[in-house]
Amino acid sequence: MKLSSFLQAAAIFRKDFLVGLRRRAAFAAMAMFALTTIASLSLALGGAFVEPKLLAALLWVVIFFAASAGISGTFEDEAAAGTLSTLKLYAARQAILFGKMFFTLASLGALTIFLLPVFLILFDAEIARLGIFSATVLLGLVGISAAGTLTAALTVSASAKGGLFPILLFPVTLPIFLPAISLTEAAFTGAEFSAEFLAAMIFYDAILVTAASILFDFLD
Amino acid sequence: MNKIYLESVSLSFGHRELFKNLTLEFPAGKTFGVVGANGSGKSTLLKLAAKILKPDAGEVKFHGAKTVAAVTPELKIYDTLTAAENLNFFAQLRGKAVDVSEIGRRVGLDFETELRAGDFSTGMRQRLKFAILLGVDADIWILDEPTSNLDGTGREIFLREIRGGARGGKIILLATNDAADLEVCDEVIELPAGGGDF
Amino acid sequence: MWKLIILLTAAIILAAIFFVPPVRGLGELAKIIFFHVPTAWVSVVGFFTSAFFAAKFLRAGEMKFDELSARAARLGFIFVLLATASGAVFSKLTWGAYWNWDPRQTTIFVLILIYGAYLTLRAAVSDEKARAKVSAVYSLLSVLTVPFLVFILPRMYFSLHPTPVINSAGRLEMDAEILAVLLAAVLDATLIFWRLMKEKN
Repeated sequence: MKLSSFLQAAAIFRKDFLVGLRRRAAFAAMAMFALTTIASLSLALGGAFVEPKLLAALLWVVIFFAASAGISGTFEDEAAAGTLSTLKLYAARQAILFGKMFFTLASLGALTIFLLPVFLILFDAEIARLGIFSATVLLGLVGISAAGTLTAALTVSASAKGGLFPILLFPVTLPIFLPAISLTEAAFTGAEFSAEFLAAMIFYDAILVTAASILFDFLD
Repeated sequence: MNKIYLESVSLSFGHRELFKNLTLEFPAGKTFGVVGANGSGKSTLLKLAAKILKPDAGEVKFHGAKTVAAVTPELKIYDTLTAAENLNFFAQLRGKAVDVSEIGRRVGLDFETELRAGDFSTGMRQRLKFAILLGVDADIWILDEPTSNLDGTGREIFLREIRGGARGGKIILLATNDAADLEVCDEVIELPAGGGDF
Repeated sequence: MWKLIILLTAAIILAAIFFVPPVRGLGELAKIIFFHVPTAWVSVVGFFTSAFFAAKFLRAGEMKFDELSARAARLGFIFVLLATASGAVFSKLTWGAYWNWDPRQTTIFVLILIYGAYLTLRAAVSDEKARAKVSAVYSLLSVLTVPFLVFILPRMYFSLHPTPVINSAGRLEMDAEILAVLLAAVLDATLIFWRLMKEKN
């Protein structure tokens, strides 16, 4: 990316942050979605012991659907407000993609920091290995942000977006979830983890970011 | 010299053929008025010239000119940002440092205000769009009905700045339904109703 | 073309019923593999064909490539459903359960999800040009999951699935006559797919 594009991406990130602070709808929807899901799961289980593997899977299910609720409007909100065309006129395409992608990553990071304590308290769980846990969450969020930003751009011209977004996102992020769940389980139990899974996540994240960058240029 | 060159450009929407084999040249330092009935393709011609829209056939080339800025009804500004934040954001995208108060004086808009653009009147919003156009300092100005919703002073300011832009070597395309806007135009292109070749 | 396909199909069905010996312990129903393997093969072929034409569309921008990409996906979707159903029957027969998230089952399930997502996306976009672009982009995006499904997934889950006919060891673990019929069936299914791809609208 050229320096000018990098500065543009930074400006778009700042702008999205400012708009996000003022119109809290997207973040509030994401946070409340996560809270509702966690609460419903926890209530349904009624304090019963949940195996670490299941717990890890639940965490990623919550993250996935909360992310879907929050980031499906990444481009749609601007398209509806009529500012997307203005943005496209004044900024380079790649800058728009990466500005939005970094903003998505930041929102998802904030979301995870918010929902994690709630999750751990309600399910009475502890993280035995914080290092591997943080690395897994970060790698997972990077992949979801890359695939999610591109998918959000795909659904701008579609009807029935709300339901469409998770349908499109899930298959392409599945390669992230499976290793992430295994690693998260290891982080909960403190058991040995497979470095192979970590490498697979890094590899797949790199593929997703590259593909998003290439494919985004073909969209209007 | 900077110019926009449209080379045998054709475009149709569905079965409606708007332009066929259109060749046009827009050199810098002149203001081109584009007039014609509703649906004659004024806005579309502007979008083609700005490379916002791709022609079905033919090519649009920029000679020398690189950057485009536009004031059109479709290109909206951020309602949740203040006037100054809007202006600074778009200027940053183009890597320009702007003197906000100086531009504010030129377009007659108070940039000190905490008001967000969403709370502006249509006329104020139009002035803000124009301030952005001046702030990003592009080579090509695309103006689609820029003086609608403006009061007398607003219109005067606009026409004055358009003249200034032409003197400053900008390529200016102005689509309008208002004959009074044509006084700043050096050349007027009249599109036939319903499109077609001309 | 259709005549040849009908003849070949008839020959395969007859061969499967009369020529191939019943599989020991599994009975006649195990012959569903002559249906399962070809349909599974075509689901994968359809997936890549769709992605191939998606890439051609993005390069050339011609709507006929979009049409071909969409058709490959629609055919692939039908074949993947047939493959999944027949696979589940074979799974019940050999492992005692219709579904147990074996890596192969997971893979084919992801394929169903991708095909379904792709076709839903197409249905949700009404503008022709926009639909062609977004679906082509999604088609190519979804191809990225393939290396994962092929290389990583089997390391994560233990598989009971029989090794592919031509496996990495280069050994053929199958009777020659079964293999011959199976390969003919795969060829037949591929021909059907190819013929349907060329079908005029």
